[in-house]
Amino acid sequence: MRAWTFAARSLVRQPGRTALGVMGVAAVGALLFDMLLLSRGLVVSLRELLDSAGFDVRVMSTDMPFAGPNVTGVTPAVAAMRRLPEVEDVVPILFGEAAAFGRDGGPVELTLFGAETGRRSPWTMLEGEGLSPFAGAPPLIVNRNLARALELAPGTAIELRGACRDGAGSLPASRFRVSGIAEFPFDEASALTAATTLVDFRRTCGLEGRDEANLLLVASREGHGPAAAVEAIRALRPDLHAFSNEELVARFQQVGFSYFSQISTVLSTVTLVFGFLLITVLLTVSVNQRYAEIATLRALGFARRRIVLDVLCQSALLVGTGGVLSLPLGLALSTWLDAILRAMPDIPARVSFFVFEPRAVAVHMSLLTLTAVLAALYPMRLVARLPIAATLRSESVT
Amino acid sequence: MNVLPAAVAAQPPGSGGGTSPGEAPPILLSRQLMEKEGLEVGEIVSLSSAPSGSHPGRFRIVGVYEPVADPARLGDPSLAARLHLPDLIDLTRDAADPQSLERVGAVNVKLAGEPDVSAFDRELAARMPGLEVHPTVPLDREADPFVVLERFHLAIAVVTVFASSMFLLALMVMLVDERRQTVAILRMIGLRRGRILVQVLSEGLLIALAGAVFGVFLAAVLEDGFNRFFRWRYDTSLVFVRVTPQIAARSVLLAVPLGLAASLASSWSLLRREALSLARR
Repeated sequence: MRAWTFAARSLVRQPGRTALGVMGVAAVGALLFDMLLLSRGLVVSLRELLDSAGFDVRVMSTDMPFAGPNVTGVTPAVAAMRRLPEVEDVVPILFGEAAAFGRDGGPVELTLFGAETGRRSPWTMLEGEGLSPFAGAPPLIVNRNLARALELAPGTAIELRGACRDGAGSLPASRFRVSGIAEFPFDEASALTAATTLVDFRRTCGLEGRDEANLLLVASREGHGPAAAVEAIRALRPDLHAFSNEELVARFQQVGFSYFSQISTVLSTVTLVFGFLLITVLLTVSVNQRYAEIATLRALGFARRRIVLDVLCQSALLVGTGGVLSLPLGLALSTWLDAILRAMPDIPARVSFFVFEPRAVAVHMSLLTLTAVLAALYPMRLVARLPIAATLRSESVT
Repeated sequence: MNVLPAAVAAQPPGSGGGTSPGEAPPILLSRQLMEKEGLEVGEIVSLSSAPSGSHPGRFRIVGVYEPVADPARLGDPSLAARLHLPDLIDLTRDAADPQSLERVGAVNVKLAGEPDVSAFDRELAARMPGLEVHPTVPLDREADPFVVLERFHLAIAVVTVFASSMFLLALMVMLVDERRQTVAILRMIGLRRGRILVQVLSEGLLIALAGAVFGVFLAAVLEDGFNRFFRWRYDTSLVFVRVTPQIAARSVLLAVPLGLAASLASSWSLLRREALSLARR
């Protein structure tokens, strides 16, 4: 305890340099903390997003998620999967583009989903009803952005012209009636999105007679879990590719998100090396300036271990104070950096690049502790080997 | 023309029942696909546009190509093939849709003279409604992912410079403090504050210049290592780090004034004090 007090007094005696050192550690620590948040942020965020949609298995035609051709023979596939004891619900999804016509008569391009919803739907209703026929017209669910852009509300009529595949030619407009306003989990911040039934989607896009879907969303039955559902679907339809949310996230981590993981590793390493070098230099220069004081203390009877411990405690206090300050600073910085990265196109509004996790704090503190100890090694060695008599004589002559 | 995704199955040369290798249309496969499937030039491969591999077309591998590196598909191995357009249309035709024989995904156009994409877009829209024109250079730079990444890297650089400045200032304060007695003696033997300030700034300038040059040199040395690592990691020919003269100049222009400012700030407390108070222990 006395070693800590002694080290604290040594630091307080030089308030300017101590404050600058602590600020430097805080800035480096904040960057390190942000890189730790970034290293797993997208993965954690996407995992939460996938889970929040209420479906824990996705079935596609190839092992390239969302990039392959459509699943064919959807009706028998969905019927067979719904009979599996491991499966609670299956929702086939088609997605494409369509144009609506605004009040000024100009086309408004939007993303159009077609889904055959059962007990669950892949969106959250905010207002109105789901996909049930509304006043005799095909139903359409819209997101808030589209409702605002075209001044839509439940009951409003709207015409859509499908543009779902290349070379389909100009398709006739289809008339819908808005049955509700919903939140789509994968929407970008400014996305204009609408959803209708599979049948009406196919009619709008000129895909009648094609029993296809881009993917099938599957909810596993409680008590079985997604892994069992994936196994059962693979056994039932070996030609299809089923992925649990966990497998999809792992796949994205390997391919799509690896850049951020790599950049965070590189920057964390550079930050730690930078912090280590600078704290070492600060402590070494500080020890050099205190040779006379240290030699005097040794001559007065302070043990070598006690003096060495003093240097270690100074390092720990500098890094510890800076480290504690770096957490709120890092969180504030991550908000700014997140806002920059979320300007990327095609990023869902609910996805964050920096996600707070308790493990990030634990890793951050462990790395800073290690840095403090390593940075103190060289100045501790200098202090331990300091010749008392020669130093006193030299300082006295000086 | 790329065919992605497609099912690929290899057969040794000459094993195509009834079809000699000479009759199979030629195909080029990407290096990554050749390596993944263990294929060799001269082999016959079956290619199908259906996930099940039904109705395959048979092709002879006549060469391997290195795909143009695409930063947007980092980490995703380019499993791609190039074949003649008629062969691709034949492979992907839909029996239920006669129009599929007349369909292409995109047409690459090189505009003559001074390119005016907007004028071309208007003219094409008037002649062939429904077609969309996408310039190869994006018009909306704000939505470009690499512009966003550049902004992110700049923000990281700002934080790093701030942290470095704090440490630099702390070090300079310590170094100047160490020379308090020297400054006191210089003042007492007649050197004026301005003369000492010039000396301090000159030292700061030299240290900052040396540090900046060393930093640029270190970045240039590490450049090759970074590129090699990331090229290996992502199996790509992309360049990840490039120390250009502009970047080097920007670093030096930022580092030198910062160094000078740190020298000035740290020396200020010594220079404004009287010589006797500096000499006092």
